[in-house]
Amino acid sequence: MSDAPGTTVVAGRGAPPAKTALRPAWPPRPRTYLWIAGSVLLLALPFYLDRFWLQAGLFAMAAAIGAIGINMLTGSTGQLSMGHAFFLAVGAYGYCAFAGDGGDELTGLGLPTAVAAVLAVALAGLAGGLFSPIAGRLRGAYLGIATLALIFIGQHVLFNAHDLTGGFNGRDVPPLNILGFRFDDSELVVAAIPFGSAEKLWYAGLVLLAGCALFARGVLRGRPGRAMNVIRDHRIAAGVMGVPVARYRAAAFVLSSMYAGLAGVLLALVFQRTVPDYFGMVLSLEYLAMIVIGGLGSVAGAVVGAAFVSLLPQVLTRYSDALPLVAESGTGGVAPGEAARYLYGAAVVAVVLFLPGGLIRLVTRRTAPPKHPDKPTPGTPGPSGEER
Amino acid sequence: MTAVPALEVTGLTVRFAGLTALDAVDFRVAPGTVHAVIGPNGAGKSTCFNVLSGVYRAASGSVRLGDEELTGLPPHRIAALGVARTFQNLALPPTATVADSLLLGRHRLTRTGFVAAGLRLPSALREERRHRERVREIAQFVGLGDALDRPAGSLPYGAQKLAELARALCMEPSLLLLDEPVAGMTADERRRTAAVIAGVRDSLGISIVLVEHDMGVVMRLADTVTVLDFGRRIADGTPAAVQNDPAVVRAYLGEDAEEPS
Repeated sequence: MSDAPGTTVVAGRGAPPAKTALRPAWPPRPRTYLWIAGSVLLLALPFYLDRFWLQAGLFAMAAAIGAIGINMLTGSTGQLSMGHAFFLAVGAYGYCAFAGDGGDELTGLGLPTAVAAVLAVALAGLAGGLFSPIAGRLRGAYLGIATLALIFIGQHVLFNAHDLTGGFNGRDVPPLNILGFRFDDSELVVAAIPFGSAEKLWYAGLVLLAGCALFARGVLRGRPGRAMNVIRDHRIAAGVMGVPVARYRAAAFVLSSMYAGLAGVLLALVFQRTVPDYFGMVLSLEYLAMIVIGGLGSVAGAVVGAAFVSLLPQVLTRYSDALPLVAESGTGGVAPGEAARYLYGAAVVAVVLFLPGGLIRLVTRRTAPPKHPDKPTPGTPGPSGEER
Repeated sequence: MTAVPALEVTGLTVRFAGLTALDAVDFRVAPGTVHAVIGPNGAGKSTCFNVLSGVYRAASGSVRLGDEELTGLPPHRIAALGVARTFQNLALPPTATVADSLLLGRHRLTRTGFVAAGLRLPSALREERRHRERVREIAQFVGLGDALDRPAGSLPYGAQKLAELARALCMEPSLLLLDEPVAGMTADERRRTAAVIAGVRDSLGISIVLVEHDMGVVMRLADTVTVLDFGRRIADGTPAAVQNDPAVVRAYLGEDAEEPS
């Protein structure tokens, strides 16, 4: 606010475009080195970690994909969804149904597994699309409650549509097979390390996660993301700015469902068996915990939160004997799963109180543009200052 | 820019559960002029804006922009016809940068969808670059050229209101609705904002409807003025004529007063 209005107003339309501050491509920023080091580390991990940790990591990757999806919906568009587990289930069971060959007396179309995976994601998107007339009209807690219904419907179907889901016992997941490369335990030795399903899926998971994260980032930083954010922050202004609010709400819901579907497919492949119990309320709440802990509205935050929430129980399980107050499952003490839930429950409270913006804020705080302390900001509205 | 259409409001009535917020209000905004809607608190000025931009539904009456009937259209369709507005209380996301907020104003003029944005298709990148350039021009026009990369919430209040005005301008509107554009500003900020609005009128030639309490700004900018009181139009005409209208003086200052402030 330093330049005089008189000159700038007259300059108006013919003003020359100022030079955009483009960063030279070389030398790369320290951040680039961090990314390279991190990628190399992730790529090398299967050569060093045992199956337990690889599976834990794969859960985290699947959870991260799902969390990115729900973060686009809840974090970026401001629509509370408690039904994310339902769409994960659609993805997981959809994959089984499309890929299954009917050998276990359950419905199976026997499609190539890669096609089945794509179809399962599309099916989850379709399920989200069917729900989107509701999602486009409800908001806040009301949408949360409506999506809650999906969980109960989903659970009912999963337990009772025996031919499709295998009922209480669930069904086996056909291993992924892309152009003859099988992601199962068939022997494959790479650099003297036997590669089983976990090792192979690790790379598939990394590729999928990277692709999903980049796509989400592009969406959120581009035109759709700006529209989604204004729907969250100022719904009325969104319409006035020309954003078709209901259509964008529905689209965010569909996209988020497709991410959930893909997470479901990956989870099924890692588990190698899908059981209905897993896709309940608790899973939905875990996903909400992930994005709150990691950082609402941020792709990196979703990944960090997903890693935190899904790795914590595994860490506690593995080291339960070394930790105070955590006992082996079934011995009367606090089981690792429970302890993990207490911990991330506490983490949610701590983040909401002390770190609004999530764990990711710890990383970005240093790089964020500095606030200008010389210019006070009277009347800065809070996040709820939408309408009086 | 295509020809700016006239805005024609006839018999506009809005009711909220028994309360008549607007009662058969008429006014006309000639193309390229600044029209002020003034009145005491609760007179129905903001309600009027909310109907013009499609946020509220009218009970009866009509709002025509050129050949288009606006009543009954959802807000985004009205925006698509070239109607932009600012809000009395800021509707600017505090954490988004000014540039991003202004780019949102380009929403109706851009096409990039989810897939193109997610995959960063060349078309999406090209569009983004082109519109960022225009956003920069508009930011310079209102005097926010060097604030583009700062979060909107970190700007002083007056600059935030200007950013919202810039966002509305980014929609390349033919009709601009400004809801109390200088409310809460310091004297200096008022002057700057009034200069910007005058600049918009002079260089863009679009119609502006202005709701404002600051009579100095209204008298300086407006070509015509409509005065509302309790939802009814009590005066309409040039600023000078309205200023001396006894009904207006009564509405503002009560029965026995002599001069409006």
